[in-house]
Amino acid sequence: MLATYAALARLAFQRYLAYRTANLAGLATNAFFGALRAYILIALFGAQTHVAGYSVQGAVTYTGLTQMLLAYLPLYGWWELMLTIQTGEIAADLSRPVDFFLYWLAQDVGRAACQFVMRGLPILALYALFYSLALPPTPWHAAAFVVSLVLALLVSFAWRFLVSLSAFWTPDARGVGRTAWTVAIVLSGFMMPVAFFPPWAEALMRLTPFPSLINTEVEIYLGIVGGPALLGALAGQLFWFLALAALSRLVLAAGVKKLVIQGG
Amino acid sequence: MTPIISVTDLRKEFKVFRHHRGALGAFRNLVTREYKVVKAVDGIAFAIEPGELVGYLGPNGAGKSTTIKMLTGILVPTSGEICVSGRVPWRERRAHVARIGAVFGQRNTLWWDLPVVESLDLLRHIYRVPAERYTRNLATFRQLLALDEFLHTPVRSLSLGQLMRANLAAALLHDPDVLFLDEPTIGLDIVAKERIRQFIQRINRERGMTVILTTHDLSDVEKLCERVMMIDRGHLLFDGKLADLLRRFGGERELVVDFADEVLDAAVEGAQIVERDGPRVTYRFARDAISASELISRLSARYRLVDLSVREPEIEATVRRIYEERLLDNDGG
Repeated sequence: MLATYAALARLAFQRYLAYRTANLAGLATNAFFGALRAYILIALFGAQTHVAGYSVQGAVTYTGLTQMLLAYLPLYGWWELMLTIQTGEIAADLSRPVDFFLYWLAQDVGRAACQFVMRGLPILALYALFYSLALPPTPWHAAAFVVSLVLALLVSFAWRFLVSLSAFWTPDARGVGRTAWTVAIVLSGFMMPVAFFPPWAEALMRLTPFPSLINTEVEIYLGIVGGPALLGALAGQLFWFLALAALSRLVLAAGVKKLVIQGG
Repeated sequence: MTPIISVTDLRKEFKVFRHHRGALGAFRNLVTREYKVVKAVDGIAFAIEPGELVGYLGPNGAGKSTTIKMLTGILVPTSGEICVSGRVPWRERRAHVARIGAVFGQRNTLWWDLPVVESLDLLRHIYRVPAERYTRNLATFRQLLALDEFLHTPVRSLSLGQLMRANLAAALLHDPDVLFLDEPTIGLDIVAKERIRQFIQRINRERGMTVILTTHDLSDVEKLCERVMMIDRGHLLFDGKLADLLRRFGGERELVVDFADEVLDAAVEGAQIVERDGPRVTYRFARDAISASELISRLSARYRLVDLSVREPEIEATVRRIYEERLLDNDGG
């Protein structure tokens, strides 16, 4: 059972590894925008040493971490599942003796691992070369950060899976997708840390699953959360994964029901 | 023997949204929901014994694919019953799909950007094929389907014929009880078609695998199947021996002859001249009136022939004849 999903993940890793030029081009783009974002934040800080709990060094580290996570999560969008629903290829995937959600999750883990190594780590290395990066305050924070990275991927996957299922009902699922990815970029704290928003907006954002994608890891890494709050942050991520996964399964069952009754 | 597949009074209806045209129509589309019910499969029944190789024949849109999708568990019937190897396909889908193989002619089930061999290896894990059986099956298919020439090529770079061969191997790695083939030779050239047909024949004969093959190409069925089921507009029109189908409804064949010179009296008893274009004459003749070889020998006895070719009737014509005959039966009874 596990061997099946491990094989799926391994092959997805290989598939993404094959796109060498795309990986290099993506890396160059990430590096360029990373530098741009870092300098904008440095300029915004001006004479202030701290803004909403972030030091200048923390803010630059924040841009480095988010640039590192961009392809891993992938925040700019994911169309694979949606396309198979639109083209009807999903019928073939549904005709395999595996769990459909885990089938895609396993492949997404492979994809994410590849993009973390090919796109994420090099960005972090470049940042370390040009800026002085902050380090997690304690080994506990470092360990929690790693756990948080994995949970963020799970939340991200469940969200993308759920959004892709809209293709069962609308021929314009791409529009739904584009909107959903944009919402995630803004509300996750990718553009700007959630703490930088007005208090009312921040409070609202923290009620959504999106800060679990980016903001939670950054706050753990920089030590903005600690103690019991740290465990709470991880539990929050886990909660959102389970909630979105459960919802995904319900929506998937409805979509499959429509498919098997009404045809593709 | 108990049948491996049994189908009783199977029906599948689709609701099709009725679109109104024009500006006013667009408005009506918004406010009303009018549906038209299309009966894709309208009460069919059959049983298939283990080891049979059955041709499921019909023109485009007849309901062939809808039937196959119900048999493979992708579609749920509106009513009626299906039992495949003791299971109801859509109710026990995962158990069902683990024991069948399916190839849909113009649909690829392999991973687009992986080499063929990696896709097959992944399927080994998905279907949990024991390593030893996998090795044995792969060796067989490599030889029978000549997979070696593209085993390490990414699936996206395969030709259509190679894609079909790879998909066939993929569908059979786990030794399914039943193999469903939906238009497996569509769009292939003659050589590729022939290779696919020979392979289907071998796995049916040597492994005793039950095969259901849908096609709208009569020659597929002529080469492969003893038993034929013919469907049109959701109804099963014929279920029996291919030889009987051809004898009763085979329709008229055509012979196109190029004479060395233009001939004035080209008439032959039992054949009708349907077209004349200089030295080229087209005859139409029924199977029971005159055989093709008889017609050719009579013509060549009288004139010098440069070239000739026989055209088999289109499947649509065969369907039309079945309808005509049924109509006559009904009038008589």
